[in-house]
Amino acid sequence: MEGGHEEEGSACGAEAADQFDRLPDAVLLDVFNRIGDVKALGRCALVSRRFHALVPLVDSVFVRVDCVIPDDLPPHAGSPQQQEAPAAAAAVPPARGRGSLAHIARFLLGVIARPIQALGQILSPVAATVSRRSAPQPASPPAPAADVSHHSPSEVLRSFKELRRLHIELPTGELGIDDGVLLKWKADFGSTLGSCVILGASSVSSKPPSPPNPPETDAADNSAASPESTREPEESGSLPESLYTNGWLKLRVVWTISSLIAASARHYLLQPIISDHATLESLNLTDSDGQGVLTMDKRQLQELRVRPVSPSGSSHRTLMPALRMRLYYAPHVELPGGTLLKGATLVAIRPSEDASREGGGAGAAGSAGTCWISNAFEEPYRTAAKALLKTREYCLEMNSF
Amino acid sequence: MASAGESGDGADGKGVTTITIISSDNEAFEVLEAAASMSLTIRHLIEDGCADGGIPLPNVTAGILAKVLEYCSKHVAAVAASSEAGSSSNAADAAAAPEKEEDLASFDKAFIDVEQDTLYDLLMAANYLEVKGLLDLACQKVADMIKGKTPDAIRQTFKIKNDFSPEQEEKIREENQWAFE
Repeated sequence: MEGGHEEEGSACGAEAADQFDRLPDAVLLDVFNRIGDVKALGRCALVSRRFHALVPLVDSVFVRVDCVIPDDLPPHAGSPQQQEAPAAAAAVPPARGRGSLAHIARFLLGVIARPIQALGQILSPVAATVSRRSAPQPASPPAPAADVSHHSPSEVLRSFKELRRLHIELPTGELGIDDGVLLKWKADFGSTLGSCVILGASSVSSKPPSPPNPPETDAADNSAASPESTREPEESGSLPESLYTNGWLKLRVVWTISSLIAASARHYLLQPIISDHATLESLNLTDSDGQGVLTMDKRQLQELRVRPVSPSGSSHRTLMPALRMRLYYAPHVELPGGTLLKGATLVAIRPSEDASREGGGAGAAGSAGTCWISNAFEEPYRTAAKALLKTREYCLEMNSF
Repeated sequence: MASAGESGDGADGKGVTTITIISSDNEAFEVLEAAASMSLTIRHLIEDGCADGGIPLPNVTAGILAKVLEYCSKHVAAVAASSEAGSSSNAADAAAAPEKEEDLASFDKAFIDVEQDTLYDLLMAANYLEVKGLLDLACQKVADMIKGKTPDAIRQTFKIKNDFSPEQEEKIREENQWAFE
């Protein structure tokens, strides 16, 4: 088929003419830069020599990750359910392939109870992939999916030498949360955490809000919210006694730590990609659930190249410095569009070192500005954040972990 | 043919000037200078004083030139309207701004929904004439046409010759295996 073109091609002109032939490379590159999806670009590279030469010059790429593999479950052990996943891991070709996204599941184990649900979530896309693709292979190990190969973002991005903007999307958020609970985080990193904003709510409903008498819903929320009666006249900043009961505080702490761990794990596994691409100026790592967003801008990427990441112990995540957190709470927040958040909590986190450098103690919210907090999320959550910022601020400190 | 009466500096009471542009097949188009200036190429010619008697464009046929000028005129009018709205203290004007943006977006979408040959010609013309907005629009359209296609389909759509040897093609396919899964 292509051979036929070859004969008439240059002589005949009109019908067989390559439509891109008279376009300069710069325009073709402009087109490629607008494609985004790395798989589409990979296919482009196969079209012709010219395409193959230009695709690696693309400066803006979007990588949608299909699944995340846990990497160190034992190869032939465990329940049938577990067996599929390690089989997939075993089939991963070079060590490079394993080292990338695999660790998300691993670190979650044993840290906090809740993320084990996340492990289940992350495994199921893998199991689904495995069963779809498994085909009998002659001398393969008993694992049903020995022919599945997985490719790390590092491998896929290897040929893009001029990459400036990179967006990676994970298939799901790492944090398993109960239905009806809201948990979103946004974090930016240089060599370590720059800032993190977390928005949570113990329930999300789209029912019209009930009239505002303090309802009998959640005792914990209630005691926190009911005015004056339970609030001791403490100095601004420290949490009232009432909030330590009923698991209110514990829940928020779990939210906060889970989010920070998820963020630091994402950051940690970006290292090889960042070091492979010295031209990178902007990096975003999101998930299709909209749960967590990690960003790094040009200055932060540069900082990471100059000061490499410190891992936290033996876990595959970046060490968190000592942190100062500002917590805001409201029992009810209504979003534009009618959604109602109950037990809404906003936590704004920065390294203690940065927070004190900006001068002032707990009440310094005004000066450094709260733009980074109110702009962390898109609508409708942005409205919630702004509403929460108007409530009383509580300060917490956390050690490095 | 440029007629003397319609050369570069046709001015009306408001001080709005028009320019004559001549296509490769000798058809003349009169447009507002502001619209014509959306093409950097034309703008430079005007600034260099070459606009008298009309600006000839040997690389652009009448059909495509008409479309390009339609795009420019529409966008120039939109810019003028929004700056008027911006400086007016009329709340109704300000409220209408997002709607006008939507109108422009729908115009663009319909504008670029053309046959492939026309799209290609628009791309060439926008590149040659340096009309950034139109170039962006056309490039994005082509990019959208490429996404989701297999290499073969891309070749067929754009009539591109596969100049790889079978061995080369096999090797590249293996390197980029991830793109096909």
